[in-house]
Amino acid sequence: MTAALVLAALLTVAAVVAVAFPFLREPEPATDVVGELDAFERRRLALAEERDRALAALQELEADHRARRISDEDYRSLVGPLRREAAQALQELDVERQDYPARS
Amino acid sequence: MARRGSPARLVIAVSIAAVLAVFLLYTSIAGGGTPSLSPSELAGRTGDVSLAGLVVGPVKGDAHAGGLRFKLRDIEGAKKTTVAVRYTGSVPDLFRVGRHVVVDGQLLAGVFVATPGTMVTKCPSKYSALQPPK
Amino acid sequence: MAELGRAALLVTLGLAAYALLVGAYAASTHRRRLAESARNALVASFFSTLVAAVVLAAAFVRDDFSLRYVTERSSKALPTPYKLSAFWGGQEGSLLLWLLVLTGYAALAVWLNRRRAADLVLWVTPVLGGITVAFAWLVTGVASPFATHAAPPDGLGLTPSLQNPYMATHPPALYLGYVGLAVPWAFAMGALLAGRTDERWIVATRRWTLVAWASLGIGQLLGAHWAYLEVGWGGYFAWDPVENAALMPWLAATAFLHSVMIQEKRGMLKVWNVVLVSLAFCLSIFGTFLTRSGIVNSIHSFTQSSIGPWFLAFIIVAVAVSVALIAWRLPLLRSRTKLESLVSREAAFMYNNLLLVALCLTVLWGVAWPILSEAVRGEAVVVGRPYYDFFLRVFGLPLLLLMGIGPLVAWRRASLRGLLRTFLGPSVFALMVGAVLLALGAGSSIPGLIAYTFSAFVIGAIAIEFWRGTTARRALSSESWPAAFASLIGRNRRRYGGYVVHFAIVLLAIGIAGSSAYDSVVEGRLAKGESLEVSGYTLTYARLVEREASNATEVRAKVLVNRGGADLGTLEAGKNAYSVEQQVSNEIGLRTDYLRAEDLFVIAEQVNDDGSVYFRVFVKPLVNLIWLAGLVFLGGSLIALWPDAREQRRLATRFAEAATPAGSAPPP
Repeated sequence: MTAALVLAALLTVAAVVAVAFPFLREPEPATDVVGELDAFERRRLALAEERDRALAALQELEADHRARRISDEDYRSLVGPLRREAAQALQELDVERQDYPARS
Repeated sequence: MARRGSPARLVIAVSIAAVLAVFLLYTSIAGGGTPSLSPSELAGRTGDVSLAGLVVGPVKGDAHAGGLRFKLRDIEGAKKTTVAVRYTGSVPDLFRVGRHVVVDGQLLAGVFVATPGTMVTKCPSKYSALQPPK
Repeated sequence: MAELGRAALLVTLGLAAYALLVGAYAASTHRRRLAESARNALVASFFSTLVAAVVLAAAFVRDDFSLRYVTERSSKALPTPYKLSAFWGGQEGSLLLWLLVLTGYAALAVWLNRRRAADLVLWVTPVLGGITVAFAWLVTGVASPFATHAAPPDGLGLTPSLQNPYMATHPPALYLGYVGLAVPWAFAMGALLAGRTDERWIVATRRWTLVAWASLGIGQLLGAHWAYLEVGWGGYFAWDPVENAALMPWLAATAFLHSVMIQEKRGMLKVWNVVLVSLAFCLSIFGTFLTRSGIVNSIHSFTQSSIGPWFLAFIIVAVAVSVALIAWRLPLLRSRTKLESLVSREAAFMYNNLLLVALCLTVLWGVAWPILSEAVRGEAVVVGRPYYDFFLRVFGLPLLLLMGIGPLVAWRRASLRGLLRTFLGPSVFALMVGAVLLALGAGSSIPGLIAYTFSAFVIGAIAIEFWRGTTARRALSSESWPAAFASLIGRNRRRYGGYVVHFAIVLLAIGIAGSSAYDSVVEGRLAKGESLEVSGYTLTYARLVEREASNATEVRAKVLVNRGGADLGTLEAGKNAYSVEQQVSNEIGLRTDYLRAEDLFVIAEQVNDDGSVYFRVFVKPLVNLIWLAGLVFLGGSLIALWPDAREQRRLATRFAEAATPAGSAPPP
């Protein structure tokens, strides 16, 4: 059936255009490199993750304490180590930032 | 409770071992499933088995009064052995001569006496309706 | 129009192959435009598959019997909604549906993440392309829905038991689940390929996993409800291999949903998470292999077709890829954090994982053992219901209890004294409930009583959590109770949505326990006017009626229902004889008593020539909680799924702080 063949042809053309589109849009791009994170960026990401985790854990501890899921004595015994962990994570991140400024 | 590493690893290992032990204990006591046989393999077998075959007529009797009687033949292969079956309990809607059925039971005095309600039919075509096992 | 369908599927195959090959090349050489091109190919493959799907759907609606697939499962007399659902009623069409859902998910996943997780999408594209190639190959080369033949005047019709709203919706829901598990797996593999060991892949796929898991759960409940109503043997789940095929990936996905929380909170279990998501995905492919290949002696089996070996090959490749990538990146994935205490939420989640995976593997063994036994020993075996019931109790009941314990235990380390204080309330409540139930006669089934008691504990625990959260919120913001409750849930959607889902599982457990441990069944042959009694009901067989419907002859036994002297109306139970399909179906009579929370379930097993009928009657307590659980489950999942703007901002900030790789910046 010719209608089917015409539609099939249109579909194929559309597929080819979709695939070629990035090249049609930017025939002469400034950069054609897609960055992967290098080792420094990975490390910084890992440190940022640890920092966020420590901070979130502190927040959750506060929330749990307020909601009385954790008793006062449990809170006191847990909050110290958590604060130290958060401080350490923040410090490590700062050191990393100073030693290896962000690449762009 | 703030020790690191080893108690946790130990407990996890012990838990996995416990789960495995439960599993092995059960399968060794309750067995690894019921044998599934075709009519030609049934001769001489004792104990509870699962018989799978093609329904061969004539079909007589009443499954809810005295027992439904029919014969089963091998689904595949050229063997012409048939086994007489006496079945009581629910009969699936798809049951008829020419269907594949599976039924549990024991061979007693030449007749396969089915465990009540264990007949299951299989529709040989593409998408079969689910039939009740009991 | 079949040519258009076939052509569209060929285009899909080509685009998917491009996404796989060119995508892999672009990822390994870091070429941006080529990577975008591969991504576009993946997105475009959805549209070409959509064209093919529309062609097939149109063929059904227009009664185009020149397509063999349409002839075999549709007819002119079939109502239009069921003509559409017949689309996925067989091997080829359901594969096309699978492909449609796969390309849809893939397109959406790579498109939504193309900026914020660009380096992941770089590798995810070829992985998703690979999966698409596999399925596109199946629908073009092995099982095409567009095979033609000389058109007969009418089709063969749809199996009567499929002409039912539940059976019409059950496959799409299941596929949204099965196929959905491909996305988290692809992101996990993509993260391993990209060397990303942080939680980005988990966060990117969290909603996908939740959607897939929820769909798989709902799909199974739809199937169970259909089995209850339509097949009508009195049950809803028979541990049939095909039912297990959907259960196994669901159990693995449940474990995964929990263990990713550990990675997010503590940075632990990175290896385990990748292993779990691979297990879930491979099990979903295995499940579809089981259903379609005819390899298992199942009453569900599609057909003994040539498609089995292809699926087997696909599973082997998927497992090999997962193992290889995990082994390769193992050193990177090791984390420093250790489990601090055996009494902590991490530990509770680990026990949860252990039990879920144990149950999953037990089911897998039950399904695989017959196949292995036949292949290795030459002796076929059948694994029966008692095996599954035993392990469901042994692993499932502790899991039920854990659902109440987990949320109440703190992360990292919980003091035993604090725990005992927290558990006191729910434990007392549970023991009281248990004692009351024991007095009411629930001791007839020990597992049932345990299930009820544990359920009461979990309900108590969940109630306490909501109570605590709401009072804390009120203390902070001085809102009214309802407002505090709403804002509590609004600000902690994952947690409280999760609690709602737990509540749904508890309802499910109560419903299953009630209807299987405490049901009653009576059977017997009744002549007109005779009665039988079951659990307080008296049923009298009044008369037999026969009537003609549009595509069937309906025979019904009218039964009068009476309870303690009160007339409760009439039930009809009987059979339908379908002329076109030459089949008979069982039509049950059902009466739901909401006050007593039980179902009266009447099966007219055999209509005898003398007008007498053999009846089988069940009284099933609490069975409707199972269906209610489905609704609650859906609600809880939706709450947990709801997007949270704050979290997106946090993640974006973190990524921006770490680096600005060229690929993730908006194009000029």
